[in-house]
Amino acid sequence: MPQTDLSAYLPIALMFVLVVGFSVVSLFLARLVAPRHPTPEKVEPYECGIVPLQEPVQRFPVKFYLVAMLYVIFDIEIVFLFAWAASFDDLGWYGLAAVGLFTFLLIETLVYVWRRGALDWNLPRRRRYQRAGAAAGDAERTAA
Amino acid sequence: MTVNQFLILGALLFSLGVYGVLVRRNAVAVLLSIELMLAAVNINLVAFGSLLGDTLHTGHIFALFVITVAAAEVGIGLAIVILIFRNRSSANVDELDLMKW
Amino acid sequence: MNGSLTFLSVAPEIALAAAVVLLLLVEVTFKPRAWAWAVVAGAGLAAGTALSAWQWVAHRGADTGTFWNGMIAVDGFAALAGLLVFPLAGLGLMSAWRLAASQGRRGAEFIALVLLAAAGAHLMAAAADFIMLFIGLEVFSLSLYVLAGFTRERVDADEASLKYFLLGAFASAVFLYGVALVFAATGSTTFYGDGGIADYLAGTVIFRPGVLLAGLALLLVGLAFKVSAAPFHVWAPDVYQGAPGGVTGFLAAAAKVAGFAALARVLTAVLGARADDWVPAVAVLAAASVVVGTLLAIVQDDVKRLLAYSSVAHAGFILTALVAGRGGVGDMWFYLATYAVQVLGAFTVAAAVSGDRAGRSPLAHWAGLGRRAPWLAAAMTLMLLAMAGIPLTAGFAGKVAVFRAAIDAGYLWLVIVAVLATVAGLFFYLRVIVAMYLASPEEGASLPASPAVGWGARFVLAVAAAATLVFGIAPWPLLEVLRDALPL
Repeated sequence: MPQTDLSAYLPIALMFVLVVGFSVVSLFLARLVAPRHPTPEKVEPYECGIVPLQEPVQRFPVKFYLVAMLYVIFDIEIVFLFAWAASFDDLGWYGLAAVGLFTFLLIETLVYVWRRGALDWNLPRRRRYQRAGAAAGDAERTAA
Repeated sequence: MTVNQFLILGALLFSLGVYGVLVRRNAVAVLLSIELMLAAVNINLVAFGSLLGDTLHTGHIFALFVITVAAAEVGIGLAIVILIFRNRSSANVDELDLMKW
Repeated sequence: MNGSLTFLSVAPEIALAAAVVLLLLVEVTFKPRAWAWAVVAGAGLAAGTALSAWQWVAHRGADTGTFWNGMIAVDGFAALAGLLVFPLAGLGLMSAWRLAASQGRRGAEFIALVLLAAAGAHLMAAAADFIMLFIGLEVFSLSLYVLAGFTRERVDADEASLKYFLLGAFASAVFLYGVALVFAATGSTTFYGDGGIADYLAGTVIFRPGVLLAGLALLLVGLAFKVSAAPFHVWAPDVYQGAPGGVTGFLAAAAKVAGFAALARVLTAVLGARADDWVPAVAVLAAASVVVGTLLAIVQDDVKRLLAYSSVAHAGFILTALVAGRGGVGDMWFYLATYAVQVLGAFTVAAAVSGDRAGRSPLAHWAGLGRRAPWLAAAMTLMLLAMAGIPLTAGFAGKVAVFRAAIDAGYLWLVIVAVLATVAGLFFYLRVIVAMYLASPEEGASLPASPAVGWGARFVLAVAAAATLVFGIAPWPLLEVLRDALPL
């Protein structure tokens, strides 16, 4: 492996070191030299104006996350179909069967998730499904 | 194009991910950092797959598997994080101190 | 591709995956009673065991055959892993049955996860390509992450689950980076055959030796995480302590078996030509695990946590066999098989004492167990003595086998460290035994309800006790047989 490949990058590396070094040194010097008298007002994000009552970012209900998680999984698994499509001619019926099996497994998962109530927006139905199993003694279920 | 560029890019990304895992407090941010590490892996795999002229495309296929498994991993990770969040309204790793860490 | 053999090579995985699909579909369609789960799961595991047994008979001691373009290996090694993992999963399910049944409809998911973990574990042992190894590792690990937090309303179980997940995913990423670097250095991810990694490394010219070494190191770190070898063990105590009592046994046993199966094949068969590079590293890992596990176990007041640190020490003992390379693989299997049964038995007792769902199992719970539940105490005593390595138990035979392998490989210092740790380890094992027989429960202490043992747990304990005694008194037949389980 020719190590000399890297020599062309020496100026860039030098530049990198200079840039990082300069910023670190100036930040450090500023800390050293500048007077610091922190007061509660100065520490606030905005020194004047109305004190914020709450964080600006609102939280989503957890059920969005549930759907998002399921989406991520089902979405990404489709990637295998691209690989199959790219060599469709070579794989022939064997490939079709394999992808059919793969798709069946995905659909089976979807059916399970669906019947299990994970796709239901209104929670009472999910609870009802879970109560159906309460006979086996799952009194402590924490739905939602 | 030389091998080293990809090795270095991969190593940088990977180190960034490791740094994130070690430093970030929020479990989701740690998860993101782990994804970064996997991205470094994918870069290496794809780059070497094409540089080595592999006729079986091992690197590319491996990258596909890494992507899909990573998605499953994220799904489970987020589910666990949501569970924790519901139970104690925080997803900060350093507040998980019921047991000695 | 010769059709039928190709599919038979992954038949155990197919059987278990089919059982999982069937189980979940039946569950959501008919909402059956719990015994239906047991029938499906039992059928899947029995089929997996039978297929592994068939592979064992057909392939023991023979050269490794690869299928699916070098993706799957069929040999005595893979077959033995199946023969170990599938019955272990069955025992784990019996041990955890009350926990699963108490989870209502989610119980089916619990069983499905155990089956998936078993399939992943077998795939890890049967993988002949890093892609397959990675998939097996992830199927296995992801199932265990969820199992660790299965009682989702208990905060310490959630915490165990998250810690296990974050550190496990981190370890997986490190492992993968190692694989990517090995791929970069060797141009292949396949283990065997022309152009495979073993073939390439056996050659004289190695391009990019630095990249190869870095990849090798990261691979080792990633897998050491999975088997909880020090200094990569930090997850184990918290996970074992926090996870619901019923699953901890399976968690501990399966993680060791799967991790070491993968480690042994990768190190001895694939990287065998580079043994000079990895043997010292493995020896250091082994010594560190033995010492750290033993020392930290001494200071624990929680029995599950103590068993966790003891499992770190045991990871060290098993690694001790691997410094002997191929010569130690049979001894590794013996130690692994007997330890897996012991740890499953010990955690089954812990689940009975502190509760199927509970995480913690402080020493106070165990006070006076010898009078409250003599059989449980006796079983626990046997498991602890075996783990400590007392003669006439399988633990002793395993330690002797492992130490002999390491001495033959010229690692006397490692064996001395391990023997010293064994002696020191007696202390904490005896501490639990003393608590069970000599201490009496504190006045007014709130003990969990009197230990309740289901028939499944009883069966597990009977099997564990029988195996520990039989292979302790007469280990040679098994040791002889296991020498055929080499990854060639």
